[in-house]
Amino acid sequence: MKIYVGIDDTDSIDQGATGESANQLIKLIEERRWGRCQGLTRHQLLLDPAIPYTSHNSSMCFTADLEAVYLPSLIKEAGRFLEQNSAPGSDPGLCVAVEEHLERAEELIAYGYETKVRIMTKAEAYGLAGKLGVHLSEHGGTGIGVIGALAGVGLRMTNNDGRFQGKLKLKGPGATMSVAEIKSCSPVERVQSLAGRILGDDEELRLGKKLKTVLLNGKRTLLVYRPEGEPGWETCTNRHLEDY
Amino acid sequence: MENTGFWIKNEAGQVQFKGGKNDWSEAAEIAGSCPHFLEDYEGEIVAEEARSCYNCRFRRWTAASFVCLKALKE
Repeated sequence: MKIYVGIDDTDSIDQGATGESANQLIKLIEERRWGRCQGLTRHQLLLDPAIPYTSHNSSMCFTADLEAVYLPSLIKEAGRFLEQNSAPGSDPGLCVAVEEHLERAEELIAYGYETKVRIMTKAEAYGLAGKLGVHLSEHGGTGIGVIGALAGVGLRMTNNDGRFQGKLKLKGPGATMSVAEIKSCSPVERVQSLAGRILGDDEELRLGKKLKTVLLNGKRTLLVYRPEGEPGWETCTNRHLEDY
Repeated sequence: MENTGFWIKNEAGQVQFKGGKNDWSEAAEIAGSCPHFLEDYEGEIVAEEARSCYNCRFRRWTAASFVCLKALKE
């Protein structure tokens, strides 16, 4: 079965990072052979002074192909992991949604988008999770991380939100590669310009310093642009990807 | 708001960067001489300059800019 795992608020200003917590959870699932996990994405939520986020109010989500029998163990162990490994003073939340059990994914997606524009409450998060049959639990502090954990899953389900965590390991900066080459030796599924043009397999591009991918149209996408005064395509910089 | 060089003190008393989210050179210059600078987790890096307030663990993003959490404590 395909599951979505969302976590949020596992860090404090001095300690931890929710992305690192998510990577450790992925490692735990795979080491125990419960299933295979796919890319970890970061989703930006609303920036508002009234929200008690640490520094960026983003949540994390990954998907996994899981043996159904391990679902209760995963939920229990993930909760325990967050309780034992989250930073002191953090407010961790965990969400686990089973795709085949979710009949109204559009409500979860709408919730995800809403967290980008409105301050949400824990009661709303628990209310929706209960209604949709999605696991949602808190594991320390105020537990307010349940809001972002649920939102992370909803936003991942849009197939059009978030940056994948980690950098691609291809050739060095300045090297040229074809789209086909990149796809064959990395998790990249599509190469696309900022304006939305999908590059063909035989087209070439120059690699920049840091190679990051985003989730667009359900594909792990490497974005490129045409630098002023230079020929050809080049991979986007961190600055280009800030809004994804 | 109180105006102090690169920074503005906002209504909440927080020390907010005057350059918004796109003054890359200023953010790099400030971080270059800041004793508190600490690079954030890789997934939260946005500036190309490794040492930049925009990449610092102690910046708290707001809708239009960021506040410096270390400056708050001083």
